[in-house]
Amino acid sequence: MAKPIEGEKRAFMTGNEVVAWAALAAQADIMYGYPITPQNEIMHYWTRLGPKFEKKFLQTEDEISAGFTTVGGVLSGARAFTATGGPGNILMQESISMAEMMRIPTVMVIQQRGGPSTATVIYSQQEVMLTTHGGNGEGHRIVYSTATHQDLFDYTIKAFNTAWKYRFPTFVLGDGYQAKMRESLTIYDPEMRGVKMVPTVPLLGQEGMPGVDREPSLLRNTFNTEEELYAIIKDYQQEYDRIAPELVEHEQFACEDAEIVIISHGVVSRSSKMAVHELRAEGIKVGYFRPITLRPFPADDLSGAIAKAKLLLVVESAEGQLVKLVRQNLYGHSILPIEGLLKPGVGVTSEEIVDKVKALAAH
Amino acid sequence: MAKVVKIALAGEGGQGVQSVAQIMTNAANDEGKEALYIPNFGVEQRGGVSIAFCQISDERIGAPKFEIGDIVIALSDRAVVRTQQYVGPKTIFIYDASIEQAEEYLPTNGAKVLAIPALKISKEELHPRVFNVMILGAALQATGVLTLDQAKKALEKKLGYKFEQNPKLRELNHKALERGAQLMQEQLAGK
Repeated sequence: MAKPIEGEKRAFMTGNEVVAWAALAAQADIMYGYPITPQNEIMHYWTRLGPKFEKKFLQTEDEISAGFTTVGGVLSGARAFTATGGPGNILMQESISMAEMMRIPTVMVIQQRGGPSTATVIYSQQEVMLTTHGGNGEGHRIVYSTATHQDLFDYTIKAFNTAWKYRFPTFVLGDGYQAKMRESLTIYDPEMRGVKMVPTVPLLGQEGMPGVDREPSLLRNTFNTEEELYAIIKDYQQEYDRIAPELVEHEQFACEDAEIVIISHGVVSRSSKMAVHELRAEGIKVGYFRPITLRPFPADDLSGAIAKAKLLLVVESAEGQLVKLVRQNLYGHSILPIEGLLKPGVGVTSEEIVDKVKALAAH
Repeated sequence: MAKVVKIALAGEGGQGVQSVAQIMTNAANDEGKEALYIPNFGVEQRGGVSIAFCQISDERIGAPKFEIGDIVIALSDRAVVRTQQYVGPKTIFIYDASIEQAEEYLPTNGAKVLAIPALKISKEELHPRVFNVMILGAALQATGVLTLDQAKKALEKKLGYKFEQNPKLRELNHKALERGAQLMQEQLAGK
């Protein structure tokens, strides 16, 4: 069978379409899903493109089921994924908690919409806390926040490999703007770029006698004693802390002598980038820092980037969710004041950031 | 920094503003430019004003939506009201001349406010279905982001299969594109 993408090519498409292509390029086997705006077209494109490459799709009765069927698919050894947003993301926390507990490498693409509740179907960055720390556990998950269609393609592919290599649930955190807008990117065959897909294996129902021919699969989400659970969570935390330095990713520039460092993630960081270029051209000492992994958070990199700063400005389309992550991760490393340009549920333009920085710099 | 041309197109559902936006940004992308297009979408999408935000540049583009457009085009009375917010001192605001009592709602802070009789001309001289292609021609004339030939290539890509079946459609679309550009040119020249 032909590969979904031969070589590489420039494309101009919506973010949802990008995700479907990326999942195909990553050799995903099946998508489970339930429709919700703004992620619907991921399902639409997957169901349109998938059958040509013997890929499968199951539409479930709701997001609780879509999450659990994804977990089930992964247990069987399928490179499985789902996509959702908003209230669907809430419903999927139950299955993701199970995936966390049992170290099941699920991949979920989240296209954030306005919240809380039904709110808007359009856009926000209000699912940061939910995606990084949702569920009744310790947030043992990996979250990539994308800013461009190129990111969406690259990190959707990467999410499958991260999940299967480290066995923690992995998320691609996009938003309604990224989902619906069209822009250019290069789609490619990962192999051509030297990206090898981490092989998938069944976590249940492997060949041979457990304990004799092979190690038994101990997949549990129920424990009789407090001590058993305690030991396992401690073990997971230790593992998570060990791998975090390998996982953290960020982007920064103009921070070396910056007096104000702008911290933003996802689509908002595009505006920050333009704002920093514009402000630098006017001689204002401002720097740019963007965490790509929101969980684990690139805390050491951020500490380094703000070494000369006098003030931090967090910009986000939420009322302080990134601020919380920044505070938590800088605690003990920095006592710098943190200002916010917080716009829950709406976009942020570079002009607004420029104005805010100028106002701060004037004080 | 490279100049980004920002265009907001607004009309009633079915007037084809999203198709115009898609053809225009596709054409820009085909010419190796950076383009970004996002429709407004929400629960009002059915029966509401449909807006397309387009940006075209030589370099990567920042935020998907913008506060102030270089060109704002409104094709219905509700669209005129709705798009006021995207008009600034440098904005060229274009609306269809057939909109009744538009003058009551027209923005007063723009650089230019121009009426083009695209709806009337499409009905009388061409075909109502190419109204949006006239708007495309007008938008390109106003911004200069693409040539009409480049737009024709994009039309061919999107509608080529229909043109093959009926070459007269190609002719009609090309005429609409040129007529739209001509109307805009006349308006800009103050005729």
